[in-house]
Amino acid sequence: MAATTAVLFPCSPGEAIEAFGDGDGVRILAGGTLLVPELHLRGGAPEQVVALSGAGLDFVKEPCDGEIMARVGAMTPVDRLCTQPAPIGPAARGIGDGEIRAAATLGGNLCAPAGFGDLQAPLLALDASARSAGSDRERTESLEDFLAARDGRLLLEVSYVAPLEMGGGMHLRTTTDGRRVFDDSHYSRPAAGAFASLGRPHAHHFTVMSVSGVRTVGGEVRLAAVGVGPVGVRLRAAEALAHDPEAAGAAAAEEVNPSDDPLASGWYRRRTLPSLVRRVLSELEVGS
Amino acid sequence: MKITLNGADAQVDSPPLTPLLHVLREELGVLSAKAGCENGGCGACTVLIDGSPRRACLTAAIAADGSEVTTVEGLGTPEALSPVQKAFVHFCAAQCGFCTPGMVIAATAYLDKGGSGSREEITEALAGHVCRCTGYLKIVDAVAAAREGDFDMSVAAESPHTQVRA
Amino acid sequence: MKAVGARLPRYDGVGHATGRTAFVDDIRAHGTLWAKALRSPHDYATITRLDTTAAENMPGVRAVITHADVPLLEYGHLSALGIPADEPLLAKDEVRYKGQPIALVAAETTEQAADAVAAIEVDFAPKTPLFDVRKAFDADVSQPHHWGTVYPHFEESMDRRQIRKGSIEKAFDDADKIISGVYRPAAIEQMPIETQVCLSVPEPDGRFTIYSCTQALYFSMGVVAAHMQIPLNRLKFVGGTVGGGFGGKVDTATETVCTLLAQRSGRPVKWRWTREEEFLCSSTRAPWHMEIIDAVTDDGWILGRKMLTLHDAGAYARFSPYGVTKHSFHHTGAYTIPNLHFDGYVVFTNRVPTTAMRGYGVTSVSFAVESHMSRVAEELGIDPFELRLKNANRIGDTSPNGIAYTDPSTVDVLHAISEATGNELAPGYAAASRQRRAGEWLPDHLLAQISDTEVH
Repeated sequence: MAATTAVLFPCSPGEAIEAFGDGDGVRILAGGTLLVPELHLRGGAPEQVVALSGAGLDFVKEPCDGEIMARVGAMTPVDRLCTQPAPIGPAARGIGDGEIRAAATLGGNLCAPAGFGDLQAPLLALDASARSAGSDRERTESLEDFLAARDGRLLLEVSYVAPLEMGGGMHLRTTTDGRRVFDDSHYSRPAAGAFASLGRPHAHHFTVMSVSGVRTVGGEVRLAAVGVGPVGVRLRAAEALAHDPEAAGAAAAEEVNPSDDPLASGWYRRRTLPSLVRRVLSELEVGS
Repeated sequence: MKITLNGADAQVDSPPLTPLLHVLREELGVLSAKAGCENGGCGACTVLIDGSPRRACLTAAIAADGSEVTTVEGLGTPEALSPVQKAFVHFCAAQCGFCTPGMVIAATAYLDKGGSGSREEITEALAGHVCRCTGYLKIVDAVAAAREGDFDMSVAAESPHTQVRA
Repeated sequence: MKAVGARLPRYDGVGHATGRTAFVDDIRAHGTLWAKALRSPHDYATITRLDTTAAENMPGVRAVITHADVPLLEYGHLSALGIPADEPLLAKDEVRYKGQPIALVAAETTEQAADAVAAIEVDFAPKTPLFDVRKAFDADVSQPHHWGTVYPHFEESMDRRQIRKGSIEKAFDDADKIISGVYRPAAIEQMPIETQVCLSVPEPDGRFTIYSCTQALYFSMGVVAAHMQIPLNRLKFVGGTVGGGFGGKVDTATETVCTLLAQRSGRPVKWRWTREEEFLCSSTRAPWHMEIIDAVTDDGWILGRKMLTLHDAGAYARFSPYGVTKHSFHHTGAYTIPNLHFDGYVVFTNRVPTTAMRGYGVTSVSFAVESHMSRVAEELGIDPFELRLKNANRIGDTSPNGIAYTDPSTVDVLHAISEATGNELAPGYAAASRQRRAGEWLPDHLLAQISDTEVH
């Protein structure tokens, strides 16, 4: 057990970064939903645990007037994301049950092992950035890059261009011919989001697989899936064919490499993915 | 570490990452929270932490430091049952009884929060709680009726789900 | 008789709702040790080495037991009925399923017990496991059990539970159609919220007080006394407060081991399984393989049934012969079929042993029979209610094992379902009753099976 484990309680993001250091031998205690039962049932004593509950990483910052970015702290509990616009809201509502969602955090979910991580796909579809710390101190990168090399990193926050319904924005500029038009950044804002998942008849079931989608004001479509590999993935081949949902679904099945686990076989996931892609595209009102 | 347990101060000496469930049962001798899975999946260990329902098996002792922890013992006694406890007894909502403390805690938190008492809301509020005996109907009946408060405790409720043929 | 018909509150309701009910894990005995098991990591293997010396010398360890410490190692679940035993309490020379207990440690803390389990030196030589009951009769199949692939100890040393009634040949000769189906319900874990748990307390007078979550208290008492070779009056069982069982707590999974450890250490010993152990190592409802072939007439009479059942017992027999016997008695379901040919095999595999769950042996066959009745109705183009009402058990009809039905409710149940689902029955079928067959309800082929015994 953890009798010999040192537990640190940083009181600010800076102290958290300091306490985490290069991450060697350090485990993060966020909501505890994964770490506490693991240490209790599997034993083992990490050298050091950094408990983030007081580190000032629990925040949801919606854009103010003139801003377009939303920022969410890594320690934000999942239940605070349930009211976010699609695809985040419905993905968050599909995690665990009320008591789990009140404890589990965004950061814990994004850094969890395969089988969890339901919030990865919605944030990939939102083209989110991740700010993290570790051996090379702080860096901000795409969430996709972060997920590819998240070991040894302390996730601090994610940020993304906020969906229109979150408010903010409204930059206008004057064209040479004197018209008032939206600033280019407006066209990057998500105008619609959608989420479709497979297999959650009850709170005690895990979501087998889900697809998240975003359509921006400018018409760009981004798709991502979780449950088709160790971490969530962007479905770029499907995005390129978004105007043709049948083709997009087929392309999605081709570009992923799902494996078998107790929830479903890789074959089944690949077979089912196209229908989720089609549902998301239909909800986004893309294509015919 | 110190917690307020059912209204009284309690000193906690277990290692800081010990699950609160283990602290309650093995260190403090409070036995109503049950170890059904110790993995967050069954709900039988649910307690109130500062008024919100939480899984005691997923909560590190250190995370509860300084908090008010309420178990079902703190809601009412056999002589003075809480409204939810009364309803559970009256509606025969407990069969084997192992999931009942967690159910009562979650139901109490739901009603305290001002839940409407609709079946959909109650089902959602109790979604994390597994009962293998009852099929949930009587539990939902009990929670829906709990705000009425007074029942004739000498008889069991007539179940709206049982059709007795003449 | 004031209680009959009254709506009484449960006697244990207040205890449950206030958290005061004491389940086994809530019983506290001073100085309790915690038990942990070394379990087989293999589905099937020879144990080539087992040395507990290092474990015995670990900190906090107060007792370690293996097969060598059990006075009567093999005591079958049906031994009291004269059925031979096949399962060792702790594995001796080989392990036959993943999770089979090999050795138990009792230590001051669960962590010390777990550390000591990890320190037990054990080597295995894995063997080829059998998982598919359909391969049990193949020539070169791996033998999962010293009795072979099927249980050989039914009456008169038969290797199956067999039922022969009427003339199956005549039924098939007379049939208009032969309709067959295969039905394979999967294993199910009973999953009580309270996992398997026991606390055994050695008393100063040499007796043991055993707090048990068993569903079958006197049965478990006999099992513990037999394994330990001590008289029953040295055991005091405290039970009755079970945190859910559903059949999964009839196997006396923990009581004997706890009591042996308590005897050896002189201390109370508690063994509570983790949820993972409960899922991976506790007995489940069996998976069943059932083949039904019915001889039917175009107007919907079932003249005869041939049925083959392969019951997946898992690695040891436990209650499986009993389950298959019950299954065989119910293999016509709620319907009367006069000519029968039933063979039911208890097949050994290298899965966890299977046991009771809510209608042991009968739920599987009910699933198969009702699925098959719908299939017959569809293939004959007959209304499924009418097919069922026609063949429904009536007073005076006899079951596969020759018991006369005195008050069968099939017709009434079918009427109730029909009404509840808004189905319109033809007048003749709506007027059917459970009363003795007569007239159009008594075709010649059903005459011989009728019991003459007057029933009241």
